[in-house]
Amino acid sequence: MSAASDYAQYRNRCAIAGIGRTEFSKDSGRSELTLACEAARSAIADAGLSLADIDGVVRCDMDHVTQGALIGALGLANVGFVGEVGIGGSAPSAMVGMAVAAILSGQADTVLVYRALNGRSESRFGAAIAPRSHAGGQGNYDEFFTPFGLLTAPQSFALLAQRHVVEYGTTAEQFGAVAVTCREHANRTPHAQMHGKPMTMDDYLASRVISTPLRLFDCCLETDGAAAVIVTSAERARDLARPPVLIRATAQAPASGMSGGMMFPSITWNDPLRLSPGKVAELLWARAGIGPEDIDVAQIYDCFTISVLLQLEDYGFCPRGESGPFAASGALRADGALPMNTDGGNMSGGYIHGLNHVVEGVRQLRGTADVQIDGANTCLVTSGPIGISSAMVLEKAA
Amino acid sequence: MTQKILPVDFDRDTGPFFTAARDHRLVYRHCRDCGRGIHIPSQTCKHCGSLETEWREASGRGQLFSWTVTRNPTHPAYPVPYTIVVVSLEEAPDVRLIGRIDGAAELEAGQPMQVWFDDVGEGVVLPQWRPA
Repeated sequence: MSAASDYAQYRNRCAIAGIGRTEFSKDSGRSELTLACEAARSAIADAGLSLADIDGVVRCDMDHVTQGALIGALGLANVGFVGEVGIGGSAPSAMVGMAVAAILSGQADTVLVYRALNGRSESRFGAAIAPRSHAGGQGNYDEFFTPFGLLTAPQSFALLAQRHVVEYGTTAEQFGAVAVTCREHANRTPHAQMHGKPMTMDDYLASRVISTPLRLFDCCLETDGAAAVIVTSAERARDLARPPVLIRATAQAPASGMSGGMMFPSITWNDPLRLSPGKVAELLWARAGIGPEDIDVAQIYDCFTISVLLQLEDYGFCPRGESGPFAASGALRADGALPMNTDGGNMSGGYIHGLNHVVEGVRQLRGTADVQIDGANTCLVTSGPIGISSAMVLEKAA
Repeated sequence: MTQKILPVDFDRDTGPFFTAARDHRLVYRHCRDCGRGIHIPSQTCKHCGSLETEWREASGRGQLFSWTVTRNPTHPAYPVPYTIVVVSLEEAPDVRLIGRIDGAAELEAGQPMQVWFDDVGEGVVLPQWRPA
């Protein structure tokens, strides 16, 4: 592994020059390919570029829209770099990292990064994973989980949450603080799916149990929609339509003692309360040359409330085991020490598998967010905490 | 009632776990070099990288590591409520196995658990766990 000091030369060499998204809904009424094209066109236009400028494309491994489908549908004629990163929601920061790598190695100048899904009207994310008659045999290791009734993402994260309760005494109100904070921010963000639907702590506590200790409102949304960002060199971005948002550093790392499979095996890995984000954080802070105390605003991947609590500890915003009290202190609110998920995140904004967090990070540093944090110069964006995770630090251009 | 999901037993790394269960034996992968248990089972040790691993017979005793009472139905063959348990093997605590208990079980972290063998049809037997 290269030393962190070697990375200094790459800091802030690339930027996000354009962002785009569709509306977020329960039923988009159109194909995922159409959504991807809309978000891509929107991001390209936002940057003041044209389709001919795009010479790199990066896909998330779980996207049904292949690079070929998108390149064909948009008629991209000048593509010379095509990449893919997994797994699912753990990928978006690393997708941007792959775009940076392509640009700094001379393989592309302007890279389109996209994620499109009909996550509610077509392939529901909260449904049973692969409910086939037989499980396993394809390197997914479902044979150890689904035959026993461990079928869904909420159950898998509930096992992590219960372990957090066992070790640290985490309370329902502490999990709820994450959900209620995201909802507050969504209610100040017109495009958020839960805009106009306020939620109090009492509402949270009254929501039905999905799988203990997780309630309905501990779970993120299922969304139809798409997002896209345009990555280019910082030098080039300065001449484009928008103030560039610099990519100070990206990082990607696996969990200790991990295995194949997606989320279910995580409870069998070395320390289920310290999965891949702990290692991502070490790399990221070293590469960025700054630490959690230097972060003004954070977009933290929130598939479940427990995901946020674990990452608050992993990224060093609070000591291990103290994320519950930290969240309950109000620290995550817009006026708190670490304003988080300022558009409502996956929980209340819209679940675009984590590329939504990148888009909101850019809005914050442009100063165009709906819940704008005054003087925001740095933003941490994290991606899913399961498997090989990733994160990045964005910085406002001087 | 709809058939429960059955594990395949042809995977070269994981199949022996399920073929042993058919004989009401609980086995886990053990590393002869570092002495730790390996789960998900594989021929290489995830702790030390050794290739010197083997299947070992487990005592069938363990400790409760985590659990969740599932109340939201997602599959007709798994009527709610039921409890998913995660159990660390007594002789190999790195090995954490999943089991299912009907209903909402009253459980406590660290409590002793005991394996039992659940014949789910088509010749498939699942090692399950209940409080000892």
